[in-house]
Amino acid sequence: MSEEHINHPTPKRYVQIAIILGVLTAIEIALYYTEDLVGAFTAPLLIILAVGKFVIVVGWFMHLRFESKMVNRFFAGGMILALILFAIVMIERASANFS
Amino acid sequence: MSNAHAYPHEPTGVETRKLGMWVFLSTEILFFGTLITTFMIFKGREFPGIKLTDVYDIPFTSISSFILLMSSLTMVLAHNALEAKDQEKTRVWLLATAMLGAVFLAGQIYEFTEFYHKGFKLDTNIFSSTFYVLTGFHGLHVFIGVVLLLALWGIGQRQQGLTLEGGMNLEFVALYWHFVDIVWIVLFTVVYLI
Repeated sequence: MSEEHINHPTPKRYVQIAIILGVLTAIEIALYYTEDLVGAFTAPLLIILAVGKFVIVVGWFMHLRFESKMVNRFFAGGMILALILFAIVMIERASANFS
Repeated sequence: MSNAHAYPHEPTGVETRKLGMWVFLSTEILFFGTLITTFMIFKGREFPGIKLTDVYDIPFTSISSFILLMSSLTMVLAHNALEAKDQEKTRVWLLATAMLGAVFLAGQIYEFTEFYHKGFKLDTNIFSSTFYVLTGFHGLHVFIGVVLLLALWGIGQRQQGLTLEGGMNLEFVALYWHFVDIVWIVLFTVVYLI
């Protein structure tokens, strides 16, 4: 089994990744408290940071970047379907009067 | 750096159990996607009763989020230790992950209790219902993860220890645990920060 995982990161690299995740979280919290300063950019920046953290955990901790295309497609399939659902409902929310 | 794990004896070229786990996680994305979408329909609208923004405590939730994020590190270190066939380190990191998960859960229970006493209850309005269903289901997933981690830790206490080939596979539990973490990454932003 170990041969299959020969290219997985080392513990040192995992710690470095965790530090990056911690820093990104700290930036998120700082953005929340400086919303008046950052203004309309706050929400987009928070979304970008969350997507960044999401990709790092999925790619490095869940090893998706080392997996086969089939595994990647299954995961991407779920994500795409969920995003389509979200987009459709949000468009409907904007155009109709949900009450 | 493509290092797809080749399983030539499997029709898909991927270990079937692992593929099954990823398909399961894909369905879980849809499950939480539906809950997040429902929450977002009502977020930002006016409802009778106390608001979420009046009761939540960002510093407290930030610490909880950081704890759950770091549990992903301990989880991946447990996986790494098992690959290196270091049973003792594997058990230590597994227990650390379970403990961090338990601390996160305790924080969520405390938070829910505080919200309840401040008047933000499950039946306060439809928005509060979507909040509790969304974060509650995530909490339930964390609880299941903690149980699985403790079960693995218990199995690891036996003489033969843990392997990456067993039915109760650490790799799959790790995937589940990291999934719980990525869901919270989204929830923390969508529910609390935006």
